[in-house]
Amino acid sequence: MRLTKLLERVLSAVPVALGVAILAFLFLRFLPGDPVEIMLGDTQVSQQQLAALRSQLNLDKPLLTQLGIFLSGLLRGDLGESIVKHAPVAKLIGDTLPATIELTLATVLVGILIALPVGIISAVRSGSWLDRTVLSGALVGISMPAFWFGLIMILLFAVELRVLPTSGRIAAAMVVDRTTGFMLVDTLLAGDLKAFGVALKHLVLPALTLGVVFAAVLARVVRTSMLEVLSKDYVTTARAKGLREWGVILKHALRNALIPALTVTGLQFGELLGGNMIVETVFAWPGLGRLVVSSIFARDYVVVQAAVMLYALTYVGANLVVDALYTLLNPRIAL
Amino acid sequence: MHRIKWLLLSLVALVLMSANAEKLTFVLDVTENRSDEGQAIVAQLQAIGIDASLRVWQTTVLRDEMLAGTRAASTSDWGSAYFDPFDLAIPKLRTKDRGNYSFYSNAAVDEAFRVASTSIDDATREQAYLTAQRQIFADAPLVFGYVLQNIEAASDSVQGWEPAADNSENFSRVSVIGSDTLVIGMRVNAVVTLDPAMYRDRDTEAVLRNIFDALTIPTAEGQVQPHLATAWRVIDPLTYEFDLRSGVTFSNGEPLDADDVVFTFERILTEGAIDGATSPRAGLLGPIDHVEKVDATTVRFVYKETFPQELVLQALTHFQIVPKDYLTEVGVAAFTAKPIGSGPFVYARGALDSQVVLEANPTHWNGAPKLKSVVWQMMPEASTRIAALLAGEVQVIQAVPPDLVERIASVPGVAVHTALGTRSYQIELNNAAAPFDDTRVRQALNYAIDWDSILKNIYRGYADRLSTVFLPSGFGYAEDLAPYPYDPNKAKELLRQAGYETN
Repeated sequence: MRLTKLLERVLSAVPVALGVAILAFLFLRFLPGDPVEIMLGDTQVSQQQLAALRSQLNLDKPLLTQLGIFLSGLLRGDLGESIVKHAPVAKLIGDTLPATIELTLATVLVGILIALPVGIISAVRSGSWLDRTVLSGALVGISMPAFWFGLIMILLFAVELRVLPTSGRIAAAMVVDRTTGFMLVDTLLAGDLKAFGVALKHLVLPALTLGVVFAAVLARVVRTSMLEVLSKDYVTTARAKGLREWGVILKHALRNALIPALTVTGLQFGELLGGNMIVETVFAWPGLGRLVVSSIFARDYVVVQAAVMLYALTYVGANLVVDALYTLLNPRIAL
Repeated sequence: MHRIKWLLLSLVALVLMSANAEKLTFVLDVTENRSDEGQAIVAQLQAIGIDASLRVWQTTVLRDEMLAGTRAASTSDWGSAYFDPFDLAIPKLRTKDRGNYSFYSNAAVDEAFRVASTSIDDATREQAYLTAQRQIFADAPLVFGYVLQNIEAASDSVQGWEPAADNSENFSRVSVIGSDTLVIGMRVNAVVTLDPAMYRDRDTEAVLRNIFDALTIPTAEGQVQPHLATAWRVIDPLTYEFDLRSGVTFSNGEPLDADDVVFTFERILTEGAIDGATSPRAGLLGPIDHVEKVDATTVRFVYKETFPQELVLQALTHFQIVPKDYLTEVGVAAFTAKPIGSGPFVYARGALDSQVVLEANPTHWNGAPKLKSVVWQMMPEASTRIAALLAGEVQVIQAVPPDLVERIASVPGVAVHTALGTRSYQIELNNAAAPFDDTRVRQALNYAIDWDSILKNIYRGYADRLSTVFLPSGFGYAEDLAPYPYDPNKAKELLRQAGYETN
């Protein structure tokens, strides 16, 4: 992969993110609802007080002026301040993003660990009862609502069996100083192995809930592309050379079969990094999804437009990484 | 031949349409959380021949639509922070007030409200509220609804705790058998801030009330008691004077005196006082002019217009006193990150969107709390809160949905606790446009809905009927005013008088 190409791709993400941010800004302003009305709730408030708050938050300015304020802040690297929480948006996102990244990595890991072996075996034994079980199992996995599945997992593992905690990232009474925001890293940095174990246990159920659904999608992709590759001439050649069957499958076939799987994983990564609001709510996981959805309900425009911009960057980034990995798996694919 | 057939068909259609046009026809707009209730209501209305249909909205969007006057009938709810109709019935029903989504206007009611919110004589205020209630009841500007109880649940190991009517959880006297830590499962995504000047929601207030003290404190039933203020008196109709408790210190050792109280209210009342931002809390204090220091332990609240003493005392329960010296020294951002108060607990650590950990303040003027620490755990999903309570991870949970109460009631070791609600739920009717500009039609709807069965079946009995939008827990409530009874025949009679056809 040439460096200039890579740079070109990275730079091309900037106008995309900017365009998305402007669209998000405009769409949000057309949404019914006034953030000041929502924030003040049910109070005796005079019209003067309402107007004063609106003008302080620049909400009384013309749309273009507001957009100008947003863009000029953006150029200075300032995402603005939350209307409701009075905190810099960069801080709010920075506080929640590590939790979401941690869950994303765990989810993708769970997904790959389940989907790869299942998909491969299912392709190799295609048509067998095992294959048919996998296929129908995957269908169940894809159609399962995360909300329901998450609650079932909590009831089973946390309430009935009591082997895992219901929710949160760490036990209520545990003290861990925040350095990176990644609970698994912070507990290790603090040298607290017990807390590390507790944090790991907290990660299991949400990662399984999201991971099983992802695995269902991925396993089907792995199976299909594996079936296709296994019928290719070079695989027959490898077999004719007298290589061991599993050597053929894992060394020769899998490498090429992984390319479609990689695409799916990349997309899933981009999606998960936005934060899954439902799973974050069910497992009381303080991630980006909850921040964004609650900000939408509060009409906290400043937070939402920054988050949407981040989403765009994440997708572009995930795609870039996937493309780079393609060239590693198959050098004939150019970036 | 074809032409005659079409003519006949359109004639039949015309006859059918004119028959329908005589029925009362409207759309009931409901917020998502009340769609079950909406379905039941629509079914009841249809049964007596009202052509009602249902539409479900996101709360904020529906409110905008109501304010624009484009909806005929919509569900709404409104909460009260005072145990007084001052911030519920008045904003909802005074002409052109902020919560008057039904565009109701009655000069007699407006006048009664003016007297009730400006008179400094309690008997006069009470009389004014009673007058207003009877007039509102007769005018039926809304379909009057109900007040939901505040349902929480706790492990039996929790001692000395009861939920409070306004979510003012104060854990200074609570203990837990076999543990020195209490964990509370909160209903929200996040606490808004730890700066007592910058929030408006109750959940944030519940946490802050344990870190800070206020001049007055409410009992679980809403009676005001002395707290940092030990006594108060009326100096003149516009001035109230408060004696402050002496010997109180903030948890950093800084003594709490009149300067801190004045500073606390100045940063709320002055525009742009909080690093350029304005506090959203000024409205809670009524028509106040300023707060001034008399001496180290005496302050005065000076009003622009007369404002009843009871309302001042109620309002003060919501204002947490902050340390002037510490806050000015470290600045707003550092203070919000590590707040210092004089309350029974001290902020230890946490993140606003996951958990806030408080530790006991051993030198609190009212005695050290029994617990060593209190942890507020954000758990926005009700089923997760219940699971955490059953798994023993938390000892108290907020906001149990009525349909999940049984899940807890059947388990030994945990119990459901209820407190009075402070939020009125109703159906707004657009009084400014047909068909609800006719009092008879509005009254008919009040007779046509069987609230008792709805409250029993959908809210499992954890709700109480309201005769108007005045709460039984509030000042000046008309005890003798019974809610509109369920009387479909009376409803049909009124509709027929108003010129509509019924079943």
